[in-house]
Amino acid sequence: MGRRPLKRLIELLVNEETYEVAVEPQTTLLEALRDHLGLTGTKEACGTGECGSCTVLVEGKPILSCLALAVDYQNRHILTIEGLSEGEELTPVQHAFVVNGAVQCGFCTPGMVLSTTALLNENPSPTVEQIQKALEGHLCRCTGYNKILTAVNMAAEKRRGEME
Amino acid sequence: MHLPKFEHQSPGTLKEALQLFDEYGPRAQIVAGGTDLYPRMKYGLLGPEVVISLKGVPVESPSTLGNGELQLDALMTLADVVRSSVILERAPLLAEAATNVASNEIRHMGTLGGNLCLETRCTYYNQSHTYQYVAPCFKRDGDRCYLIPKGKKCQAVFMADTVPALICLDAKVETQSKAESRQVPLKDLYTGDSLFPIALSRGELVSKVIIPKAATHRGSGFTKFSLRGGMEFGALTVAALLDVVDDGMTCATARIAVGSVSAKPVRAVKAEAALTGEKLSEGLLREVAKKVAAEVRPVMHHGYSAPFLRECLEVQAYRTLTKAAAGMR
Repeated sequence: MGRRPLKRLIELLVNEETYEVAVEPQTTLLEALRDHLGLTGTKEACGTGECGSCTVLVEGKPILSCLALAVDYQNRHILTIEGLSEGEELTPVQHAFVVNGAVQCGFCTPGMVLSTTALLNENPSPTVEQIQKALEGHLCRCTGYNKILTAVNMAAEKRRGEME
Repeated sequence: MHLPKFEHQSPGTLKEALQLFDEYGPRAQIVAGGTDLYPRMKYGLLGPEVVISLKGVPVESPSTLGNGELQLDALMTLADVVRSSVILERAPLLAEAATNVASNEIRHMGTLGGNLCLETRCTYYNQSHTYQYVAPCFKRDGDRCYLIPKGKKCQAVFMADTVPALICLDAKVETQSKAESRQVPLKDLYTGDSLFPIALSRGELVSKVIIPKAATHRGSGFTKFSLRGGMEFGALTVAALLDVVDDGMTCATARIAVGSVSAKPVRAVKAEAALTGEKLSEGLLREVAKKVAAEVRPVMHHGYSAPFLRECLEVQAYRTLTKAAAGMR
């Protein structure tokens, strides 16, 4: 056996707050968020990059936290589902998911909402194909995806100020 | 799922990384995006003692060399490849292929170089260890193939999407090790051996991708066939590139490359020859598609039988060629 890798003290910038965390080299960003910081909104399902449940935004771009090492993501702006809304006020994307019933068991929702947020920041009026392309890495076993598509469309409309 | 234990190194420059790679030798594994490596490590398929992460190495933006060649940093993420206006203009075929890789999240992590160096895959190998409950297969240093029960060799398939596109573009790669840097045509990077698919020596990595200057009148097409149509490795990927002379009809050079058919991507050379010097027409493209299917012999993989893939290849090749001919500019 090789020598046991030592823990390392790193700084993670999550939801605009700096956290000091002692992690081992093989600790994934997902494990750091959930087990070390207690931010359990980010979910682990497959753990191998197939389902999209563990999506977080790094500098506004969606990545899979289960395939990222915590030590590789020091001092980058990480946004998890906990940091999305301000207080009780839901963002247009979150609100659209709620009112359209795009949430059933809710396990895929954090990833879906974050990816949708990233998509709408980059492209405020996506076509159905563009939405499908952006969310293709997210598995949902409950809703059949149609309600999610409706929700994304509604969120896009609301963000563009076409709806009150 | 947890990663096995390892020591982590994060060099700030490529030079430092190569130095470390050389120092640690076979105990180390280089990782760029990690989207192919970490799942395999989680499955227990490999466990390097040291992981040298390239996340800290700065990425260069695409540049044009003196002779008009387009030079790309292998560390560019696939999402950046899709977004890059230079690539969209100069090599739209690569951008289209890159859009087809995995999912949006993976494209934001995975790199171009990493896609070129993808490990070959098989239904039985890319699983947690318990899946092979009798005895290990060739890839696990065993003596059997689960896919083809009396098979004498490993049949794992090379499934990277960008490679057929880059082969059509006649791309070269620059590889670097601590001692030297060399340029090889991309097609020579693949050995055709499922167990050691990438022809890189110990301590060597792909650092640059170089695409030659495009012809004036060029059309390209790319299709990826998979069951779900998204977030999946392709059952077949076909890339085609047609350069025509000034009349816009007569084919000057043709390139057709097919991926996910064997341990390396295959060029349909005979089919290309049937296009050269001919006027493009629907009939000709149908005939050429037949030739592609006859020439490239897909092996069965991931639940697709070989006869199915052969028939499928003819259809996909026709669609790709039609796209290429329609998108002529």
